[in-house]
Amino acid sequence: MIGERVTRKEDVRFLTGAGRYLADLRPAGLKHAAILRSPVAHARVNGIDTTAAKALPGVVAVFTAADLKEHSRPLSHRLAVPGIRPLEWYCLADEKVRYVGEPLAVVVAESRYVAEDALELIELDLDELDVVTDVRASLGDDGEESAPLLFEEWGDNVFYAGGFANGDFDAAVARADGVLRETIAHHRIVGLPLEGHGACGHFDRTRGELLLYSSNQQPHNLRTVVADVTALPLEKVRVIAPDMGGGFGNKQHFHREELLIAVVATLVPDPVTWSADRSESLTGSVQSRQQEHDVEVAYRSDGRVLGVRTHVIADLGSPTLYFSSIGPALITTSMLPGTYDIEAFEYRLTGVATNKPPMGAYRGFGQPQANFTIERVMDLVADATGVDPADVRRRNMVPDAPRPYFSATGNRYDTPSFHEQMEVLLDELDYPAVRRDQEEARREGRLVGVGLANLVECSTANLFGFCSQFGGYEMASVVVQPNGHVSINCGTKSQGQGHQTIYAQIAADVLTIPMSAIDVSDGDTALLPHGMGTWGSRSATAGGGVVLKGTRQIRDKMTAIAAHMLRVDGEEVELSEGTFSAGAGRVTFAEVAHAAYLQTFLLPPGMDPGLATIASLDPGLADPFPDATGRMNAGSTFSTAAAAAVVEIDAGTGQVVIRSFRIVHDCGTVINPLLLDGQIQGGFAQALGAVLLEEVVHDAQGQPLTSTLLDYLIPSFSDVPRVHTHHREHPSELLGGFRGAGEATTICGPSAIANAVHDALGPLGVRVLQTNLSSRSIREMIRSAGVKPDPFARALAS
Amino acid sequence: MREIALLVNGEPVSVEVDPREHLADVLRDRLGLTGTHKACEQGACGACTVHLDGTPVLSCLLFAVQADNRSVTTVEGVGTTEDLAPIQRALSERHGLQCGFCTPGMIMQALDVVGRANGGLTPERVRHEMSGNLCRCTGYVSIVDAVLDAAAESSSVAAVPDNEPTQAEVSG
Repeated sequence: MIGERVTRKEDVRFLTGAGRYLADLRPAGLKHAAILRSPVAHARVNGIDTTAAKALPGVVAVFTAADLKEHSRPLSHRLAVPGIRPLEWYCLADEKVRYVGEPLAVVVAESRYVAEDALELIELDLDELDVVTDVRASLGDDGEESAPLLFEEWGDNVFYAGGFANGDFDAAVARADGVLRETIAHHRIVGLPLEGHGACGHFDRTRGELLLYSSNQQPHNLRTVVADVTALPLEKVRVIAPDMGGGFGNKQHFHREELLIAVVATLVPDPVTWSADRSESLTGSVQSRQQEHDVEVAYRSDGRVLGVRTHVIADLGSPTLYFSSIGPALITTSMLPGTYDIEAFEYRLTGVATNKPPMGAYRGFGQPQANFTIERVMDLVADATGVDPADVRRRNMVPDAPRPYFSATGNRYDTPSFHEQMEVLLDELDYPAVRRDQEEARREGRLVGVGLANLVECSTANLFGFCSQFGGYEMASVVVQPNGHVSINCGTKSQGQGHQTIYAQIAADVLTIPMSAIDVSDGDTALLPHGMGTWGSRSATAGGGVVLKGTRQIRDKMTAIAAHMLRVDGEEVELSEGTFSAGAGRVTFAEVAHAAYLQTFLLPPGMDPGLATIASLDPGLADPFPDATGRMNAGSTFSTAAAAAVVEIDAGTGQVVIRSFRIVHDCGTVINPLLLDGQIQGGFAQALGAVLLEEVVHDAQGQPLTSTLLDYLIPSFSDVPRVHTHHREHPSELLGGFRGAGEATTICGPSAIANAVHDALGPLGVRVLQTNLSSRSIREMIRSAGVKPDPFARALAS
Repeated sequence: MREIALLVNGEPVSVEVDPREHLADVLRDRLGLTGTHKACEQGACGACTVHLDGTPVLSCLLFAVQADNRSVTTVEGVGTTEDLAPIQRALSERHGLQCGFCTPGMIMQALDVVGRANGGLTPERVRHEMSGNLCRCTGYVSIVDAVLDAAAESSSVAAVPDNEPTQAEVSG
């Protein structure tokens, strides 16, 4: 079944309205929570008066930080890396609020309507403080007076400061024909799963057991954190992640709100549920991507890059997030060399606190920023030297041998040839023809551009490096039921990727029984000792790998039973189409299962009855720690891609039209091409949104101006063209040969589009040094290049 | 509280509602029809689309009392596990859903688009008429394909294939 375009096992329940998402759960006696969030970006909390709210009919309870302190332990980022500030916080803000949307109080009531009514009756006594929303101002680099401090005890706003050097950048500069110095700005966006975050908790007082449903990508690791925060014994906490309406990394953190619901559930008699409404998820949840890269590039006149030095300044917002808000930026710096062989590579990383919501994970986890900067650098070098962007890439590409190749930052590329991949792309694109068309378009006064981007993508990281706990392994239970049907439970957590289907495909290949006889579940800590969840392109690799391992263990035991039943040696037995056979002898999969449980006298002497295993698999290779030089391999394996965008821009309106987007992609062994195409196309939509439409805007007082889907624009039906995709399959070294498949277009799409925009605007003297390429931004860029946009010029000319 | 009478998926029901309760909440909380999803509650995403007297409406923007004495169809009334509607089958075959959260709203809107198609559905028209429904997972083309498939099946008129990249005008 591996490699086949099978439709999904999970579809029917979603198509008939029978999905069970967090907000669909209705335990008896359910109460509804609503969260009071800070209306200002920075203030000291003098007091919170909940008297009137508590008196409202239908209100069950109201809690503030003071009420919860004796019932909960503080949260912490726990990262023990050098250069990071220790930091603790509570589910609800206590002494200070540091961003608009920070949770201050929670109301539990008979309905969400009443709970929200009660929020309006809570009186806040806040002393407003000066606000800082810009990283340069927060660092005091803007020449203004000293910035307001988010955490006074730090003495500045620097949450993390680190650096790394490989090779000698100054020597590279000495040998160079030129040096580029630019700042590239990555703007703030949100992942925005259509289902916002949510949690539902119930504490059974008699048994001392907490059941927490949460729309979370890592249910097992969440359980560990819940047990810590509630001080309950780990085995008394059960976390279930139900069907999830998307996650995209936004739900891989351990959020204050779900921990709040866990704590509150221990204090009220009934189950309590909370779901973020859209404004809460747009303004008070994790946001992503915002960084500034000061980059210096030493290059030769033939386009060869001799060295790159960068200062990555990450705008962390309030870094009150576990796992840490600095995580994505660590991966940005790690992956910045990309597919290029850059020996002299230095970076400084400064993680800066500002009065905005916490920076967190979003599909790509820091890699879109890395890819954008290095791919922009390639084109800026092309501009500076007059060498074609494709040739600049050819001259800098990681050589085809040896493999593995170790990047400047220590990443271990187990990849096929990047050269070959890009040549396949350029062939399929017909690059010379695209350039000829561009020339003709320019003669007609049209702004047409083509942009390239190469991708190497970290897959299957070791979480220890980001959390100082948890690992890189995965677990799965595989049970053959006495009737020969198979139940698999996995520690990954599907948010829409289709794990039920792909794991069943993998198992069906090993066990040779129909997918319909294989049931796959996930997301329940009671069914499996542990699991690392789904994030960082790890489910096909670690999850698929452990399903492969577990089903093989079961198959081997069944083969031994079948051999005994057929009175032959195990090596003589073959399993195909659900039947074990040796010569003329045959016994079916179901008969072996029946024997294993119900006719145990048929088992080989000494063999334990039953067909069940809990398998675990550590794909390995990814480093849990950096070495003494700061190098660290972030992924067990790496996926690759080469992408090209062709765009046309209306100089008057600033509107970018994507004429085509093409990608040559390699995620190793393809499990299901139908689902893989969905990942590529869906990831592309998010890439397009990230550069052309989406932008989180805060004003100077830290007030969010994009709090609804009417202000924060995500791509719609009319925005997203079809991606031309070519999959190549170079199996990884991991069990099954899989590589991560879900993030390629999200990571390299923005780079290819931006490079095309830059190329299109070249004749106007515009240089693209930012990710925000909304119509408004492009009009501003054109204007600041000294060209007056005239929306009517073309209409009049035609 | 006020009692209203609804015909929900063909079944007459009467239900006590608070006049301020949205139709989406009454369907979900009082009638247990949780297939209708709330994703923005501001009329911007289409996830809560149901049919009111046969016409698609956003149930997060309607008060339930506005539906008094009217007929409401939700995704639960469209097809069953054993007998999926053509649009439901097509969405699965085209992989036009991932997380499934927008799917019920997509189905309700698509039923209306297909119902009014008269064999004249093009990819551009599907994109235009579905543009009030947002999906964060799929990147839309598989949903466009599915709607065209369902239309082709309904009318037995071959739909125009959407093989070429759409010259999508990017707004914003």
